[in-house]
Amino acid sequence: MKKEKITVTRRDFIRGSVGATLGFTLLGPEWLKGAVSSDSRSSVVIVRDKNVMDTALNADKEVLENMLEQTLLHVTGKKNRNEAWLTLVSPQDIIGLVPTPLMNPTHDELIDVVKESLVSAGIPAENIRDAQGRSVDLEPITALISLPGLKAHWLTGIGTVIKNYILYSGAPRNYHHQNSTKLGEIWNLPQVKGKTKLILVDALHPVCDKGPQVDPRYRWPYNGLIAGTDPVAVEAVCLKIIMAKREELRGEPWPLSPPPICVEAADKIYKLGNSDLNTIDIETIGWAEDLLV
Amino acid sequence: MTRSKYFFFFFVLFSVLLFPLSHGEACVMRPEKINFPDTIDGWRLEGEPKRIDKANIFDYMNGAGELYLSYHFDHLLVYKYKNKSGNDIVVELYTMKSPQDAFGLLSLDWGGEPVNLGQPEDGKFMKAIIPQNRALYGKGLLRVWSDNLYIRIMAFRDVPGVKKVILRLGEIITAGRSHPLPPEMLRSVKISTDSPWTLMKDRTAYFRSYLVLNSLFYISHENILNLDLSTEAVIVTYERELETREKQTARLVVIKYPDQERAVTALDSFFKAYLPDQKSQVTPDRERESQGFFHIEDGWMGFRLSGRELALVFECPDKQSAQEMTEQVLLDSLSN
Repeated sequence: MKKEKITVTRRDFIRGSVGATLGFTLLGPEWLKGAVSSDSRSSVVIVRDKNVMDTALNADKEVLENMLEQTLLHVTGKKNRNEAWLTLVSPQDIIGLVPTPLMNPTHDELIDVVKESLVSAGIPAENIRDAQGRSVDLEPITALISLPGLKAHWLTGIGTVIKNYILYSGAPRNYHHQNSTKLGEIWNLPQVKGKTKLILVDALHPVCDKGPQVDPRYRWPYNGLIAGTDPVAVEAVCLKIIMAKREELRGEPWPLSPPPICVEAADKIYKLGNSDLNTIDIETIGWAEDLLV
Repeated sequence: MTRSKYFFFFFVLFSVLLFPLSHGEACVMRPEKINFPDTIDGWRLEGEPKRIDKANIFDYMNGAGELYLSYHFDHLLVYKYKNKSGNDIVVELYTMKSPQDAFGLLSLDWGGEPVNLGQPEDGKFMKAIIPQNRALYGKGLLRVWSDNLYIRIMAFRDVPGVKKVILRLGEIITAGRSHPLPPEMLRSVKISTDSPWTLMKDRTAYFRSYLVLNSLFYISHENILNLDLSTEAVIVTYERELETREKQTARLVVIKYPDQERAVTALDSFFKAYLPDQKSQVTPDRERESQGFFHIEDGWMGFRLSGRELALVFECPDKQSAQEMTEQVLLDSLSN
């Protein structure tokens, strides 16, 4: 018998049946047998400092260093920065830093601060590489630190954590249409799987609509770093912040369109982490005004 | 040169100029060369413009390139101005194959402060369903529809005095260009004066692609309405206030396909994906207009199909509203 094609639609989101429809669409009916929710909880840390950018929006490296240290201590539970880094990576690791290269790119100051901090923790400078791009050889890289910029995306809803590895697919355009649901599969490629040690989102000056092409009307100084080791949980918190900002701007609910289906798929289909905010502990440090979570 | 040689020369010249028309593309001679000033209020033009076309648009703007390819995109020229402090103003001139496509890009967001760059006011009719503006400014970004050009002029830092420079650049670029009316398609939607529903003209958009539709009002991650560059579509948002002061919104999407068969096929595809439970109740009639209304999770939705045009309404609180909205659409006459 010919199988009827199942398509994810608006109605699935209203009914709350996106996960099930996605499972059928991407993996077939067999998916249901393995579709058991994870019991584990995830942690996400938000560190903010009102003074990290000046009025001309220049980032202050000294303030960023301090924010990074706070982030590392709270993500790892360690007492000092070096110890914290060494729970995530080791001096033997070849470390790839993966910033957002275009359209609201990761601040250079943040990339520099991360590199310097790693070196001061005992990681040889020659072991730290820029690992963004489709031509990067991921084979020798043993640890990835993802450094995406926080932004909404007009094709995928959000274009931050899960989408940050899109160039590793070798065919980024294939993940922009209905296949944006499959962005999570890139994290399970053999050369990528299990290598991500930290997700550190640059949320200094995010974009909450029309991304990735920047429209300054939808950018605001959030002055934050958002971090964790569960990529889906970090993305879910980023999503919450973007949605809250959109609602604040319009004064009424302003859902992301299209809905960021890749986040739920990353959780339910690709098992990369927790997308349900009820399973995520959010720790906030520093400037608390307009936190949006 | 002999008389016959003159004749031959002009024959060849006219043939070259008219050749694109024979391939169904708009061929309007427009000034490609814009004389940008070398300096303007302390901002200096940096080198030659960068030319972006379909082949390298993703290198320039990554996934945002899909937006421009969702309309009839020809090419983009990028100019850059710099001041002494190292701040940039980026001028992007998107050359589209028709004014309708350039209009479509502006129509995706009517937010910002309206500015007049010496452009005329549009006709009364268009005022009723879309804002009247052709140029909008907000926080360092000017967006303009000028004939077949969609223009973005953006200062990465909204420094004092930069707005004046940006608006001046806008005037220079648009000077002498023609000002066609918005797409005819917008006339498909009538304005009702005795309806409790208000048409939110700043939410009206013109598009050709399901990707753009999804960014305005999500229906499905797949192209279930079979939209492409040969189709034209408009989305309209209606709002009404209840006695409780709560606001309700409903959407109307009108699509014009190249022919009736494409419209019928699209409706069939839509029902299979969106309303599989109602599929048996829908048999599009090629001889006369067909319509239907269904109660689903987010309210009433309905369709009306006539000739090569299809109207769909979503999120209506009752059947009567859904009927009223589909009746506001002037669909193709079947006799056409």
